Amino acid sequence: MKNEFLSPQHKKYISKLKRHKILVFSAQTGVLVGFLLLWQLLATVGVIDSFLMSSPSRIWHTLADLYANGQLFYHVWISLYETLLGFAIGTLGGTAIAVALWWSKTLRDVLQPYIVVLNSLPKIALGPIIIVWAGTGQKAIIAMAVLISIIVTTITMLGGFLETNAEKILLLQSMDANKMQIFCKLVFPSNLSTLASCLKINVGMSWIGSIMGEYLVSKAGLGYLIVYGGQVFEMDLVMTCTIVLCLLAGGMYFGVAMLEKFFVRWKS
Amino acid sequence: MKQVLTFDNVSMTYYTKTQETQALSGLSFGINQGEFVSVLGPSGCGKTTLLSLASGTLKPTDGRILLDGRQIEKTNTDVGYMLQRDHLFEWRTIYKNITLGLEIQKKLTRENIEHCERLMKEYGLAEFKNHYPMQLSGGMRQRVALIRTLALKPKVLLLDEPFSALDFQTRLHVCNDVYSIIKKEGITALLVTHDISEAISMSDRIAILTARPAKLHRMHQVNLGHVPTPLERREDPSFARQFETLWKEISQNEK
Repeated sequence: MKNEFLSPQHKKYISKLKRHKILVFSAQTGVLVGFLLLWQLLATVGVIDSFLMSSPSRIWHTLADLYANGQLFYHVWISLYETLLGFAIGTLGGTAIAVALWWSKTLRDVLQPYIVVLNSLPKIALGPIIIVWAGTGQKAIIAMAVLISIIVTTITMLGGFLETNAEKILLLQSMDANKMQIFCKLVFPSNLSTLASCLKINVGMSWIGSIMGEYLVSKAGLGYLIVYGGQVFEMDLVMTCTIVLCLLAGGMYFGVAMLEKFFVRWKS
Repeated sequence: MKQVLTFDNVSMTYYTKTQETQALSGLSFGINQGEFVSVLGPSGCGKTTLLSLASGTLKPTDGRILLDGRQIEKTNTDVGYMLQRDHLFEWRTIYKNITLGLEIQKKLTRENIEHCERLMKEYGLAEFKNHYPMQLSGGMRQRVALIRTLALKPKVLLLDEPFSALDFQTRLHVCNDVYSIIKKEGITALLVTHDISEAISMSDRIAILTARPAKLHRMHQVNLGHVPTPLERREDPSFARQFETLWKEISQNEK
């Protein structure tokens, strides 16, 4: 409907945009396809050792085998479950802590050094402690995923909350708003984009947590398969699981990006 | 005439770790019902402090501020506040922005909503009801900010340099616009500004403050009562004369 009224110059501009988009997309596809072809070719002619480097065709066969014997979705589901749970608890918990810290300046001042230390601490170092406390089951893995995402969430969200425009707060105060209303009507909604970037960061963080957790303790999951494959020198399995992991993490990021679009729909 | 807002010997001192700053010292003046009063003073003389005190977000160190004869103790809904920037909430529609105050005070009654609808219709915002602030021009946004304040039916409207964020052209028009709405709705207004011509073009009286700690230097009566709008006032021959008088006074105060 809009197109009917466009001037020729405007149409030209739009087709230029379109051409750029097509160019970028075909280049992206080209890089992927070229890479796979080259990999396959080098493996076939024997330039690279496919026992060490695997090859697209071998990965494909491994994937088909895993799918056929039901292993694929079993392991994917276990890792996905751990990651999503860690992601949810980490994000919600971190945001809740940030709310509490925003609310009370005293609490904020008291806890600040502890948060700084916890943030700098490599969470993997806490692995043994977690195992002793939470056992060697999925609980430990989820705890790892939570631990890695919760501190970052707290810091990022608190930063956003504290940067809320002071004059807007003054405006609400002059309307006789209480602290709860200031938070619900202004501080939280003005930080939806902060929350969205937090979610994006946490996609990566919770995957790190769950895969790392699976490296430490696990009997199933993609992280388990990768470690297992590495130990028995089955690089096909390692490569296959890594690629599945890429797809899952990418898909989750995409989901979060869609959610962000919904959050800030007033921008369009 | 009934005095709506009264500053009675008000002093205000700020404290920081290393020093104390006296912003106001024994300031007294009053604003009558339906009157438009401006406060002019050298920069940093505590003009914004004055408004924070009147809105109840700050408490004076000494003295009293009376609204309709009663002392202001805390923030209250009888005072409306309009700030330098419109501070519309980008994620709310125009309608939702205008009813924000009512929502906070839990006063979304049918009568109040009808009042909002009337204001929006009267001042040309009805068609933008479901738009988002981003879709509006700077002038329109400032008008929405004014209506948002008026939706709460304040007894006094406080204006803190509400036009300083606009470019000059828009500024003159928005100034005219805001003035006519305030006059039409019969609102008592207190404007704080460092712009002498803005003060003359809008006010009935101008309170000239001394440098910090500020007290009242002189109350200036603007002799342009017969000229209806700020834009026309700017063209009046006596405008330039009054400008010069005020400018000299303020410059002397700065030294």
